[in-house]
Amino acid sequence: MVEISSDVIRGYNDTMILYILSNEPSYGYNISKQIKAISEEKYSIKETTLYSAFTRMEKNGYIESFVANPDPEGNGKKRTYYQITENGKNYYKAKCDEWEVTKDVIQKFIHKVD
Amino acid sequence: METIKNYLESMFANLPNTEEVRKAKNELLQMMEDKYNELIDEGVADNAAIGTVISEFGNLDELAEDLGLKEEIEEAQEMESENPSVHISLDDVKSFITNRTKKAAFLATGIMLIISSISCPILFSADFDNDQVNMPALGALFMFLFIGIGIGLIVYSSFVDSDWKFLKRQPCQIDMNTASYVKERRRSFEAVRGICISIGVILCIICWVPNIMFAQIHNIGPGVMFILVGVGVFLIVYANKISSGYNILLKLNNAKTIAGSYTKGSLKAPVKYVSKTGEFIVKTYWPTITCLYLILSFATFQWGVTWIIWPIAAVAHNAVLINCVEDQD
Repeated sequence: MVEISSDVIRGYNDTMILYILSNEPSYGYNISKQIKAISEEKYSIKETTLYSAFTRMEKNGYIESFVANPDPEGNGKKRTYYQITENGKNYYKAKCDEWEVTKDVIQKFIHKVD
Repeated sequence: METIKNYLESMFANLPNTEEVRKAKNELLQMMEDKYNELIDEGVADNAAIGTVISEFGNLDELAEDLGLKEEIEEAQEMESENPSVHISLDDVKSFITNRTKKAAFLATGIMLIISSISCPILFSADFDNDQVNMPALGALFMFLFIGIGIGLIVYSSFVDSDWKFLKRQPCQIDMNTASYVKERRRSFEAVRGICISIGVILCIICWVPNIMFAQIHNIGPGVMFILVGVGVFLIVYANKISSGYNILLKLNNAKTIAGSYTKGSLKAPVKYVSKTGEFIVKTYWPTITCLYLILSFATFQWGVTWIIWPIAAVAHNAVLINCVEDQD
């Protein structure tokens, strides 16, 4: 299977995370698990990459963090949850538009070989 | 899970110990732990799960940039390459402690012999009604013999740990496991140290008792006194020397880095004084009292009375501390 190089995907980690957070607030490992599942196991995000994205986006005001217990019965450790902000939603839309253009542009240079 | 924790700690060991870095470390640990637990629940073998988690961790350079730590990391790397810090393993630490104990024993015995040597001429000049041997000469002979052996032991003790001199010259580091081992050893030694020092101090205080008990037998009292002081000093020096060995190990890690936090809470916070004068008074308090006690005692030879200075000094010490030391909180 072709591995995705981290250079290529770097600009779109934020998009993936924001996509997941636009459904509901979530925490680190859960987000990385969803990315893996949605990408059909073709991409798995590294922990350091994920955490850098969190700190960067929180600094830019795209997401906010809060501490909560994942288990409704209150067992287990508390985790840092992230939720998307209005700013984040706008940023996500902009990233989607950017991707449409990027995709079209790159596609024009892709030569199908058998 | 221990392996993963240690891996993460070693990755973070040289980063500055700031709120941000600690948070990053905790968050990453939480993610790794979640992943590890899920793999184990899926029935993956422990080793395989650890391998997966570590291989998918990524690298810290990327994170450092987003945490605004790029400069610090580069600085740390530069320092590492110029003057690499020596990693002290658990085995090294164990052999250091054994060595330190040996050094403490030699040094303390040496000092004890020198102090007690004074009692030789005193004891030998006691009236034993023996005309065949020149007792004072024999006493002096033994005194110099004791002093000689004592000095020999003290000199030797400084060579015992010469292999470990590099700990003071070079930057060294111990990992978290080793740090907790040292902390545990020191904790269990604390009780022994307490007993040694208490007995040592008591011996030094009650050293005048033989003077009263053997008042009829000339010279026995003063002779035994120096032996008691010698044994007392032996216990104090021995315990403190070993204990300071643990502190040397615990202070190895750079206090400003994450590695420095392994030993946090185990070392006493530096005492803050209200003023320079306050610091001077507190630091010279006990030596001054000891001098006073000895001067008064030898001047008056009222050993039965002068010991009262100790309980009074102990009570006064608290008053001095309250006035000279700033509150820790």
